[in-house]
Amino acid sequence: MAFDLPRRSVLQFIAGAAASISAPFARAIAAGNDAATVGWPNDVPSWDPNQRFTPDAQPIFKAVFDQPLDQDPQLKLIPHLIKTWSLAPDGLSMAVELRDDVTFHNGDKMTTADFRYTFFERIKSGAKLDIANSMKKVQDIVIESPTKATMKFDSPAPTMPQWMAFLGSYVVPKNYIESGGLDNFLHKPVGTGPYKLAEYELNSRIVLERYDGYWGPKSKIARVTIQIVKDPSARVAAIQSGQVDCTINVPVREVQRFAQDPAFAAEINPITRVILLNVRADLAFADKNVRLAAHHAIDKAALSKAFYGGAAVPLSVLATPGTPGYIDDFTFKYDPALAKQLLAQSGFSTSNPVKIGFAATNGQFPSDYDIARAIVAMWKNVGIDADLQVIEYAKYFELNRGGKLPEATLYSWDNATGDPEIFSGYQLNPKMPFSPWKDEDIGNRVLGLFGVADYDKRIAGYRDLERYAVESGATMPLLQSVVTVVRKKTLSYTKYGNGWLLPQTLQWS
Amino acid sequence: MIATVTKLIARRLLAAIPILLIVSALLFCVLRALPVDPAAMSLPPNATIDEIEAKRRDMGLDRPLPEQYAIWLRGALHGDFGQSIQFRRQSGSLVAATLPATIELALAAMVLAGLLGFGGGLLLFRLRGTILEPVADLASILLLSIPEFLWALILLFVFGVALRALPFTGEVAPGLPLPHITGFLLIDSLLVGRFDVFVSACQHLILPAVALGLAFSPTIMRVLRSSLFDVYHEDYIAQARLRGLSERQILIGHALKNAALPTLTLAGVQFSILFSGTLLVEVIYSYPGMGNLMVDAVRNADLPLIQAIGLTYCVAVLLINTVVDSFYVVLNPKLRVR
Repeated sequence: MAFDLPRRSVLQFIAGAAASISAPFARAIAAGNDAATVGWPNDVPSWDPNQRFTPDAQPIFKAVFDQPLDQDPQLKLIPHLIKTWSLAPDGLSMAVELRDDVTFHNGDKMTTADFRYTFFERIKSGAKLDIANSMKKVQDIVIESPTKATMKFDSPAPTMPQWMAFLGSYVVPKNYIESGGLDNFLHKPVGTGPYKLAEYELNSRIVLERYDGYWGPKSKIARVTIQIVKDPSARVAAIQSGQVDCTINVPVREVQRFAQDPAFAAEINPITRVILLNVRADLAFADKNVRLAAHHAIDKAALSKAFYGGAAVPLSVLATPGTPGYIDDFTFKYDPALAKQLLAQSGFSTSNPVKIGFAATNGQFPSDYDIARAIVAMWKNVGIDADLQVIEYAKYFELNRGGKLPEATLYSWDNATGDPEIFSGYQLNPKMPFSPWKDEDIGNRVLGLFGVADYDKRIAGYRDLERYAVESGATMPLLQSVVTVVRKKTLSYTKYGNGWLLPQTLQWS
Repeated sequence: MIATVTKLIARRLLAAIPILLIVSALLFCVLRALPVDPAAMSLPPNATIDEIEAKRRDMGLDRPLPEQYAIWLRGALHGDFGQSIQFRRQSGSLVAATLPATIELALAAMVLAGLLGFGGGLLLFRLRGTILEPVADLASILLLSIPEFLWALILLFVFGVALRALPFTGEVAPGLPLPHITGFLLIDSLLVGRFDVFVSACQHLILPAVALGLAFSPTIMRVLRSSLFDVYHEDYIAQARLRGLSERQILIGHALKNAALPTLTLAGVQFSILFSGTLLVEVIYSYPGMGNLMVDAVRNADLPLIQAIGLTYCVAVLLINTVVDSFYVVLNPKLRVR
């Protein structure tokens, strides 16, 4: 007996060591169809899905939690936890009917009490949640039955259905949080999503296990590990070496290389994110000719070809193709001759260039600084001398608040809903912190549209606004941004127009 | 000797108080002087300018800087370093969750740097005057010129991608659990008897530790060699030769002991730098330590978290220096007499 224990320990050690030595590279193969590892660029900020609006974390939240409404791959709103919804014509209320077959991962049934708690009670209790902002118009949620409720708003909320499928809008369990406390919830989050959180290590990995009690279609893969790999080169190395089965946001040139390898599928997918120049209405850009010349001088197709393999669609409005605010028949043309002509009208030429400041981030989105440098060269050719400075994204708001942004700033704006309010409405609203364009004319047009409840009128209004803003030189949309995906050829997923890669859609063939 | 070391530690701990105060004040002022807006960063993107202003007042950012510092210091003395803007958790708890991984990595790297540095230094010394000396010299200069993040990328591509010999993402293989007892994975895996986890954790530690170790060993190597050169000019080395001792006995028994003292001082300084060098290496290897957290904090202008991590680095450096000086006292009899 005295000998037995050490011997067992030694054998256990040897077996463990052998398994571990062979594990790292064999694991994807050994796991078979029941497991997959995804290399992801960012961790979730917190396991309270209502707390922070982080676009990159949404696919992970959508695996563990459910949203009241969902979007199909073409981004059309579709029922989810909410079976039916009806926004009142005045936009002051929205009646909803929830499914009655939904349970949280702890077995509790999801009802309108959880819905009211998430979108009203938590916010009113003073919890520091980002959805407090998106739901600030919610005056009350009147419960009519465990599945029926009506949301009441203090002013028209025409985009409430879109927000029910957008950032931070995930139903959380009232009883579980109230009885166990928030810390317990953050430590052991419970949602109604297709996966349960099995394990989490900050900045390292998230292990998801299929929830067998899920009300919707069962996920094909039982265990998905999200490996947090922040460095793009490390993500390339991880997929190349087989340490992950799929990854996103790798450099475009690497995607082109992987596309030549028969073992991988590599894609550059355009998404609902716009790359634009945010501009000021004063300094050298007080002159409309200079603004329009700056816009006409940019060859967007060349930028797309050079930095996004031609996959990023050149844009003329602040909306992406296929979204309601996009205008198919409007093109703001690339015309360097016209740019020179406009500049000449204001007394500028290549020998007497107009001097402007230009800010760009470096590494905030793919090829941002390279795009900025290319624009500087394009401007130089027509008589605009831009002084390019690199800024941190975190500094953008402070510089804008203090009126210290230069004439133009390269910017990227993500809008998974595709709704025009969240594109041009937010970007041109002078009361919001994004745009350096402070002008009453456009400002009033935007603010007027925020209260329009009729969907068709609202969309038509935004389409007019977008065209007007571009023709006035109040904004310079450049490109539809892209997301890159590299995966093993045998692992497929459902492609969404907003770039989501949802763990529940992964499938081995 | 114990009394001398105890006195030294006590003196160092006392001196650490004003140092920490000065560093925290400097950090606080520098961070507040940055053109970033923590209030805007802490609100959702659809917040209005008025809401951001209200948040700024709520966060106390409209108060005079000394008052802001006093509030922060009072909290810090009670263990409250403020809530992280990005994670909405106490900054102290985030640091505590990630510090053990960084300590494990830094210690492993330091052991490697020490072994490589001392081994390489002895080798360089042994090769003096031979035809291999210029080659060895060149090799050490080459090693010296490669920074840790470049080593990290080189090792990742050679051993991770090309040879597929070692894992390079995370702290342990995906299929294995993460035991949480002390926070130190190597210790915890042994405590729960999961040797497979222990082996996997060691494997995941190899590349980041070697990257750091390789970057910091050349300085140790070169200083040891120079010290040995100096020591070999001392009379007692000539006397040892006259006594008939072999070169090996002279090197190990006499020269190395004395040459090790300046090298040890340098190793202490190197360890302090190495600790901060974990930052980029952790990001490249997705190692869940404090450096990785720091990158997040900087990217999101998370001032409370940057402040907490910065102070932790400062405490770590002070502790390392104290430990090294204690060793110095133990090894150097002259200091004990004083």
